[in-house]
Amino acid sequence: MVAILGPSGTGKTTFLHLIGRLLSPRKGTVRAFGHDLSTLKHDDLFRYRCRLGMLFQSGALFTEMSVFDNVAFPIRVHTQLPEELIRDIVLMKLEAVGLRGAHDLMPAELSGGMSRRVALARAIALDPEVMLYDEPFTGQDPISMAVVVKLIKTLNDALGLTSVIVSHDVQEVFSIADEVYILSEGEVIGSGTPAEVRANTSSRVDQFVHGRPDGPVSFHYPAPDLKTDFLRETA
Amino acid sequence: MMEWFRKIGAGVLEFFREFGASGIFASRTICGPVPASILVQQLYAVGILSLVIIIVSGLFIGFVLGLQGYYTLSRFNASEALGQLLALSIVRELGPVVTALLFAGRAGSALTSEIGLMKATEQLSSMEMMGVDPLRRVVAPRFWAGIISMPILTLIFSAVAVLGGYWVGVRWLGVNAGAFWNNMQQAVNFQDDVVNGVVKSVVFGFAIIWISVYQGFACVPTSTGIARATTRTVVYASLAVLALDFVLTAVMFK
Repeated sequence: MVAILGPSGTGKTTFLHLIGRLLSPRKGTVRAFGHDLSTLKHDDLFRYRCRLGMLFQSGALFTEMSVFDNVAFPIRVHTQLPEELIRDIVLMKLEAVGLRGAHDLMPAELSGGMSRRVALARAIALDPEVMLYDEPFTGQDPISMAVVVKLIKTLNDALGLTSVIVSHDVQEVFSIADEVYILSEGEVIGSGTPAEVRANTSSRVDQFVHGRPDGPVSFHYPAPDLKTDFLRETA
Repeated sequence: MMEWFRKIGAGVLEFFREFGASGIFASRTICGPVPASILVQQLYAVGILSLVIIIVSGLFIGFVLGLQGYYTLSRFNASEALGQLLALSIVRELGPVVTALLFAGRAGSALTSEIGLMKATEQLSSMEMMGVDPLRRVVAPRFWAGIISMPILTLIFSAVAVLGGYWVGVRWLGVNAGAFWNNMQQAVNFQDDVVNGVVKSVVFGFAIIWISVYQGFACVPTSTGIARATTRTVVYASLAVLALDFVLTAVMFK
């Protein structure tokens, strides 16, 4: 499990979108499963995406479909399985995230944490090889966060997945990641196992990992000299 | 002065870039299969749910046209020609144009905001990541549902408007019913009037739906972006309908 950490606005989500080719890079190449993604044709690209699962920050559930239909959606589209079998698979996936009993609910009836778990069940519906998580812990209460952390770890180990987590929640990510990369201003400023990153003495890594309000990333947004700004005559 | 020219040039370039992008978008939408079950759902959402506004508007426009036509024609002792006046003005012009304007306001704006919201809540991206093409799954069924619905709605509008005019002219103001229907039958040519009206409505439907789905798909995925895209849909679609109506009328009714 690989984690990409970094302050907001540093390009973590963009990085995941590049892996899924929701965005194309202006420079350089993105390679996955031995392919340069920019060379994939329409059908090949959609086949490639079937090998990935992605948990979006907002959950991105289809609002007009029930929980059951959301999870069944990729199975119905990509397989010819009979409806009875689809029902069994969907209930198994929902059981894995603890929401089998919620299969009749609509997305509007779910809490934020439940939405994310349903989205997780949908993302693993087709048994992907790689899971991409976009800020899975953002906006969760402590219980929901603990549930999501446990689920990601359990699913990763049980299904033998490769997972890429993008987050800025240091402690949660350190508790489950095998390898961590810290991005800042478009470059990797630190990497290694969670223990190695914690021990990193770089001031930028230290500020981010320990959540210090001031340091190389200044508390103040760049601004003109205070005296000049206050004494300036307004038009 | 140079800045002014630069802005105009940038605006023209942006217009052609946008027009080209929407053309590619439309061609990719048109070419390819459409899931039948979703098409049926969209026919309901786009067509059936627009019926109330189309029927009520048609009825009132028929009423008003019946009144205005009667008062004008009776000055020349020609109130018997009310059926002819009603049918020609509704079937040729008011039916297709007013239906299209109502359709742009009711269905077009709904489509733009729906697709825009799907984009803002990452539903379109999640679909792509599941290996499902949103153009086929989301856009194409809405596109074809709009094109199928428009001529049907136009025919319903025209029929209701004629009945509204009949009610006012014959039942209320006392125009002879036989003369009303007979003059209408004599004046209206199926090929030149009814078919041309339907052709107009198909062209208007294409323009409205193209603008609506493209604006939703290409909008900035924020609340302001969706609001602006929805406004643009109604403005662009209404202007497109009026401009196309002029061109089609000039070609069809020489």
